[in-house]
Amino acid sequence: GVALGAWHRVAMEESELWVGFVGAGRMAGGLVRGLLQAGKVPASNVLASAPSDKNLDAWRELGCRTTHCNLEVVYRSTLVFLATKPHILPGVLEEIRPAVGSQHIVVSLVAGVTIQTLQRLLPPGTKVLRIMPNLPCVVQAGAMVFSRGSNAGDEEAALLKSLLSSCGLCEEVPESYIDIHTGLSGSGVAYVYLFAEALAEGAVKMGMPGALASRIAAQTLLGAAKMLLETGEHPAKLRGDVCTPGGTTIYALHQLEKGALRATVMDAVEAATNRACDMAKD
Amino acid sequence: AGVLAAHKITASSPDTDLPTVSGLRKMGVNFTVSNKDTVKSSDVLFLAVKPPIIPFILEEVGPDIEPRHIVVSCAAGVTISSIEKKLSTFCPTPKVIRCMTNTPVIVREGATVYATGTHADVEDGKLLEQLMASVGFCTEVEEDLIDAVTGLSGSGPAYAFTALDALADGGVKMGLPRRLAVRLGAQALLGAAKMLLESEQHPGQLKDNVCSPGGATIHALHFLESGGFRSLLINAVEASCIRTRELQHLADQEEISPAAIKKTLLDKVKLESPSLSVASASKVSLFTSKSKKN
Repeated sequence: GVALGAWHRVAMEESELWVGFVGAGRMAGGLVRGLLQAGKVPASNVLASAPSDKNLDAWRELGCRTTHCNLEVVYRSTLVFLATKPHILPGVLEEIRPAVGSQHIVVSLVAGVTIQTLQRLLPPGTKVLRIMPNLPCVVQAGAMVFSRGSNAGDEEAALLKSLLSSCGLCEEVPESYIDIHTGLSGSGVAYVYLFAEALAEGAVKMGMPGALASRIAAQTLLGAAKMLLETGEHPAKLRGDVCTPGGTTIYALHQLEKGALRATVMDAVEAATNRACDMAKD
Repeated sequence: AGVLAAHKITASSPDTDLPTVSGLRKMGVNFTVSNKDTVKSSDVLFLAVKPPIIPFILEEVGPDIEPRHIVVSCAAGVTISSIEKKLSTFCPTPKVIRCMTNTPVIVREGATVYATGTHADVEDGKLLEQLMASVGFCTEVEEDLIDAVTGLSGSGPAYAFTALDALADGGVKMGLPRRLAVRLGAQALLGAAKMLLESEQHPGQLKDNVCSPGGATIHALHFLESGGFRSLLINAVEASCIRTRELQHLADQEEISPAAIKKTLLDKVKLESPSLSVASASKVSLFTSKSKKN
């Protein structure tokens, strides 16, 4: 648990927080939108850097400040999000290392880069955390897990969790779960898109216009997910509740079982997780 | 189960050489070769012959059926209406109950359902339920569900035996002696079934409770899913149910002359392999009963 004192300090710190983003791509953009929407941080306290203006325009439209200089972000921020592409990160870390101090909280969004690597490339004693978000952070319905490095304490964890809960579900986990989260939820979003597309296609085959089918497919997924989250019931129970004896649903489910959908999905999660592990080793 | 005294039970079979016959006698059951005698000395009459033989049995015992008789048919695929139709030429309001049970009644863990016919009263159904509940689970259903029950719990023990054989093979492959493997496999299924029956939880939840993250069980389950385990079981229940309906349909269409029947009946009994005869006779031993009304 987190000490009451830590929470108090968290509340104070949030409003005075200077937040920086090194890298301004889609994931970073999603996080900042969540933070701003929830009123966690004023846009004027946010500074983002990127090599070109391509992404930065959108940030300026939100009211954030932008720069092309990574060092500037570090000098002017307390909470620094690292959101570069994996192969660029080592170079960036070397660049900003001189400016990183004990006041900084460094949070890496970079896929496949371990806490060990981050701590190795940053000054000793730096407070480091690693987070794995997923794309729906962009619409504040994300699923994020984070782990803390050796020097990050309860205060930092509480701060991060409090800030990022504005973007969806945010949980602290052991670092070994991060690759699994990638397979489940990071990539998982794509599995859902695939499923939605297939649902709609089935409907189109049966005579429904595509656009309508797609909207209904999405709403079906949303509704089912919402029921899962809100009732807390086991998915097998909820599934059974929909299946009237001899009815349409059980006929359809039989088809899904014939296609070994469950095993295929398990295979997918496994493959993505293993790939995340392999990439981290590179 | 101690529900009926043996001397109140009468069983009949044309073939007295069957091993089940002597088994019945040893239990103290009255034995006769005359089906008519069985009917006369019974109030509850279980028809436990093979389905194609039902019409001929009904022809034979029809004249002796009285209003007090409750005729219970356990024959797969034989409808209440077909029995009532046959009997109505002899008795205006025959009490007919159709039931579907399964082999584990032998160890008093049967699964039985029954549907009551036009003239069977609520008390008649309850009487049967009381009798069958002494050998396992028993409940009333609508007749049109009986084929599905056949597919699930009628054939179910066969699915379980197949699974147990395979599980034992798995155990043997990994180094267990066969007897131990069989014993452990059976106990695992027995225990799981018991947990499910005694729990409020969904089987999916109970499954989750066994699967520790990254552990042995979840790895194994993945294999089951990859093999389409679930769909195979769904297919099996479906196939058995559909076949039951087919057989019933075929039976409805068959017409054999009465003279040829008696002969083929006896021929069938004699020609059938020993194991098959035992099966039909064992049904006789279990189900032909007599109970004195209070």
